[in-house]
Amino acid sequence: MNAARHSAETVLEASGVTMVFGGLTALNDVSLSLPEGRIVGLIGPNGAGKTTFFNCLTGLYTPTRGAVRLRGKELPHDPAKVTTAGIARTFQNIRLFPNMSVLENVLVGRHIRMRQGPLASLFHGPGFRRDERRAREKSLELLEFVGLRGVEDEVARNLPYGDQRRLEIARALATEPDVLLLDEPTAGMNPQETEDARQLIFRIRETGISVVVIEHDTKFIFSLCDTVSVLVQGEVLVEGSPDVVREDPRVIEAYLGKPREEVEAEVAEAAAHHGADHQGPAAGRRDDA
Amino acid sequence: MTTLLQQIANGLVQGATIGLIALGYTMVYGIIQLINFAHGEVFMVGTFGALAVYRWVLPESVQDQWYVALPLMLLGGIVVAVVVAVLMERFAYRPLRNAPRLAPLITALGVSVALQEVVRLWFPDAEAAQSFPRVFVDAQVDLGPVQISATGLLLIVVSVVLSVLLQTYVNRSRMGRAMRATSQDRDTARLMGVNPDRVIVLTFVLGAALAGVAGVLYGAHLNSVDTNDGFQTGIFAFTAAVLGGIGSLRGAVIGAFIIGLIKTLGGQYLPGGTQYDYVWIFVVLILVLVFRPQGLFGEAERVRA
Amino acid sequence: MTRLTGFLPPALARPFNAVGAALLVIAALLPWATFLLNDGAFPDKATLQFFDAPLAVTGFRWQLLLIGVAALVLAFVRIPGQGRVLRALGWGGLAIGVVGAIFIASEGGGLGAITAADGTTAFGSIVAVLGGVALVLGSTALGIPDIPDWPTRFFGLSGWPLRLAAWVVLVVAFGGVLYLVSLTLTAGGIGGAADPYAGPIFLAFLGFAGALLGALHGAGVTRWVSRLSEEHRGFSILVLVACAFALPFTEAGSQYWMQVAATIGVYAATAIGLNIVVGLAGLLDLGYVAFLGIGAFVAANLSGAGASALGWDLPFPVAALIAAAVAGVFGAIVGSPTLRVRGDYLAIVTLAFGEIFYRSAQNDIGELTGGASAIPGIPPISMFGTAFNEPLELFGAELPSGVLYYFLIVLVVAAIMAVFANLKNSRMGRAWIAIREDEDAARAMGIRTGKAKILAFLVGATLAGLAGAIFVHKLGTASYESFQFLESVTLLAAVILGGMGTIPGAVLGASLLFVLPEKLREFDEYRLLVFGLALILIMRFRPQGLVPDRVRRAELAGETAMGKSIEEAEEQAVLEHEEALSAQKEDRR
Ligand SMILES: Nc1ncnc2c1ncn2[C@@H]1O[C@H](COP(=O)(O)OP(=O)(O)OP(=O)(O)O)[C@@H](O)[C@H]1O
Ligand SMILES: [Mg+2]
Repeated sequence: MNAARHSAETVLEASGVTMVFGGLTALNDVSLSLPEGRIVGLIGPNGAGKTTFFNCLTGLYTPTRGAVRLRGKELPHDPAKVTTAGIARTFQNIRLFPNMSVLENVLVGRHIRMRQGPLASLFHGPGFRRDERRAREKSLELLEFVGLRGVEDEVARNLPYGDQRRLEIARALATEPDVLLLDEPTAGMNPQETEDARQLIFRIRETGISVVVIEHDTKFIFSLCDTVSVLVQGEVLVEGSPDVVREDPRVIEAYLGKPREEVEAEVAEAAAHHGADHQGPAAGRRDDA
Repeated sequence: MTTLLQQIANGLVQGATIGLIALGYTMVYGIIQLINFAHGEVFMVGTFGALAVYRWVLPESVQDQWYVALPLMLLGGIVVAVVVAVLMERFAYRPLRNAPRLAPLITALGVSVALQEVVRLWFPDAEAAQSFPRVFVDAQVDLGPVQISATGLLLIVVSVVLSVLLQTYVNRSRMGRAMRATSQDRDTARLMGVNPDRVIVLTFVLGAALAGVAGVLYGAHLNSVDTNDGFQTGIFAFTAAVLGGIGSLRGAVIGAFIIGLIKTLGGQYLPGGTQYDYVWIFVVLILVLVFRPQGLFGEAERVRA
Repeated sequence: MTRLTGFLPPALARPFNAVGAALLVIAALLPWATFLLNDGAFPDKATLQFFDAPLAVTGFRWQLLLIGVAALVLAFVRIPGQGRVLRALGWGGLAIGVVGAIFIASEGGGLGAITAADGTTAFGSIVAVLGGVALVLGSTALGIPDIPDWPTRFFGLSGWPLRLAAWVVLVVAFGGVLYLVSLTLTAGGIGGAADPYAGPIFLAFLGFAGALLGALHGAGVTRWVSRLSEEHRGFSILVLVACAFALPFTEAGSQYWMQVAATIGVYAATAIGLNIVVGLAGLLDLGYVAFLGIGAFVAANLSGAGASALGWDLPFPVAALIAAAVAGVFGAIVGSPTLRVRGDYLAIVTLAFGEIFYRSAQNDIGELTGGASAIPGIPPISMFGTAFNEPLELFGAELPSGVLYYFLIVLVVAAIMAVFANLKNSRMGRAWIAIREDEDAARAMGIRTGKAKILAFLVGATLAGLAGAIFVHKLGTASYESFQFLESVTLLAAVILGGMGTIPGAVLGASLLFVLPEKLREFDEYRLLVFGLALILIMRFRPQGLVPDRVRRAELAGETAMGKSIEEAEEQAVLEHEEALSAQKEDRR
């Protein structure tokens, strides 16, 4: 499971995804491909259809048209099966199990990776105990990984906001995914927490997991992603490396909607920022299709 | 053939009663997503309210003059039903507005049991079924091959007229709009200047008034009342509301007529006879829920009020 | 109760506590009734005519005296959790006083009985009420502290001495529970003509027991014991089962109480099954008693009862297993609409199923239920050459008939508890709780929610079916009347009253809801009324139940978990997001 960044084999491929709600076309012929070991960003104004796209990828919605393939295999429209196939997600509004403990939340994430059947659950034999112990160890490792070690017995809903987001990521990672979908992972975070989240996502990629991130914070996206897709009113407007996207006048007009100078200042700042503390993502190799 | 038509007529009378109650169920559920199990009791309390008026308010001289007795009894039934409904909204349900989902449901069951018991214990002689006066014209109306009691006919007419009126009110009036807005999204409605508490009380009042009318006419039609009629009829009414698509006023009434027909026709023609009419109704309910969870009219006409 | 805090200035706390406690002591020594009530003298020498020995207090006056003396001491001695302890004692004294006042007044005809008659006074109950009120006010003015935490490693012990000490504590604690249970069962006697005041005396005893438990809880003792028992789980279970087996050897070991206890056991077992469905998986089941009924009728038909149409005669264990399995199958069938139907609609499906079962049983469907004439003459369980309805001699003690059913049901309840605990702490149990908390998120974790929910129904129904098999043998008759809608509501109430998702909760709830009517038979008229009002009040003031889950109110899943649709939740997220954005902009400046 090591990141093979040079061999850009496609893990996740969505082609022609269209989602119509009654009269509203929330997604129109959206395609996206996620190369192995990359971080792809998805930006767009409110209501552009980003979350809807995630819901289509994970089988929560059945798209009107189009297909999603994971390593070439078409995914069913059933969230449980999609997760089993290797896609995990977080939710824009946090959807933890609020009254379960932090550790239990992650253990639920281990559900599909555990071996015990109903009978073992009933009798708690030696096999069961081994399975539980392993799951516990794994979960604690993950909590360590996201920086939540020490609060595992806290009730999830009592965690501070930023920690809830991190717990949601740990829970998603517990399913041992190939692909992780993050829906606005830094919403509501302060700059320090945002920076921690960025580092966390880099570390996740390091473990060989490919990531798609939705985020409104362009600075964050441009300093994090290998490629960025811009979704506007259900359609992909631009797709390419952060450099390409941030230069694109259509993006500046349609999405950022700010005077150019301000954007450029922001871009420069972001570039300086990520140059300072990180090698920076492999940027600029792909152009928009 | 005559039997069939006669049973259809009987079914329509039953459906009319159930429909008036189902409207209250569907409105309350539409607004606060609560299965108000106690709504059947509101109906029962209405019947007893009218009985009380007949026994202790009406002078003997007017007791057999239906054009005096019936309106006064209707008034009594409606007032009692409305007062009970408002009290229960205020003291049982409102404090639970933000409580966990199960809490109001259990409370509703508690209110239902308590109301039944209060009437049984303290309404004189209510331990057993009571005879209810035939206040309306005591005659059978011949409609071709079928006969239907005058009270039954009145019940059907009143039920249809009231549900059309209610539909119009909800669709046209300012308060009706507020109701629909609240049922869609209480918080947004509040932002738009709607007072949800008032709307909710109004919903309970409207539902209770209809149930009260149903109670009085039902008593007059059957000639007897019992404290546990409410729960059973209430369950039928809720079933009708679900069948029609909860939140839909027209659905509730049509669902009620379907239930009424299943009850009489099933009792007549299906194996097991009237003892199993209950069973058929619930079998239909389960089938509808499984194959069309939104009910028959759930989507076509989503008044949600 | 926080509303009472600040009602009095703290400076008045001690005087009020002292006076309240003193009043309780005085009340215990005063006569309570001035004349013979209609049904005879008020018990425990509380009637004036019999009041020749004020110091020879017994029964409820003795209990009040204990409360008063304890409060008097604690008004001056500081202990951890003092405010809580005193408050619990105050409520207990108040309860005893109120119960006494109401009964003597209503039985004796007016307030004359508790105030004065013929120039003689008997205001014991009024003094008790005043004392209780003063104590409650004083204790809340003192401040309600957090429940103190006691260490589970104590006296600097470690290793086997610590273990031994913990075991001793546990034995004493569970022994105390056993004693309390035996007292509770027998308090006031069995009612009827023999014990005309069984109701009030029992209620007064409940006030005392509540005060005792409340005080122990406030002082942190119950929490400490429960943590100790978690740390020594195996030993605790052993002691608990041993205590349950010891109950017949106590005062409660009469035929009557054994029968009551066995009935409670059956309902407790059923309630635990229901707790899986409602408490863990969060699925409301309003027709649950049907599974008890299915188990009962299946077992009845396999028992060799003459009235059964089938007339098979299988050994009890086999019949019980078949009954459980059949009930389980029906559970899965009833649960299968969960694949399509959510929330309240599912509740209606279960209600409908319960009614269908009831009606079918009433009308003798397939000639398997006996209809209105029921299936009488079901022989008692007979194993190892002993019929279970016979008396038993054990360790030299004569145990009454019915005690074997009691032993059997204790074993079954213990087994079902173990099943519940094991399931709860397993992959499956966590999946159920996850579904209850947030079904969409659970699916996103790979949980096959449909299968899991059906499994919850299946397991719950199986346990109920097993309980039904025992129920029907114990009763000797299988009648549709035992399986009404109201029974389903009562079981649900037991689960909620006790505390959803917890094991002691279901047992405690079932005990209360099935002992109380037994004890308060003279108020049978009002049983349902009180039941209905109790449901309303519990939901209003203590929806998490008497023994809440570690996570308070967890099982009455809150708004965030179930009430919100994706859209709603996302809308909220948009708002949050905008807030966050503006916050970020602020930061930049
Ligand atoms: N289940 C649904 N039914 C009807 N319309 C929907 C549904 N889900 C989403 N939509 C609509 O689809 C459009 C896209 O919504 P979506 O939530 O995907 O936007 P988004 O890009 O995630 O926005 P944001 O940045 O605010 O999160 C919106 O107009 C929304 O109202
Ligand atoms: Mg979104």
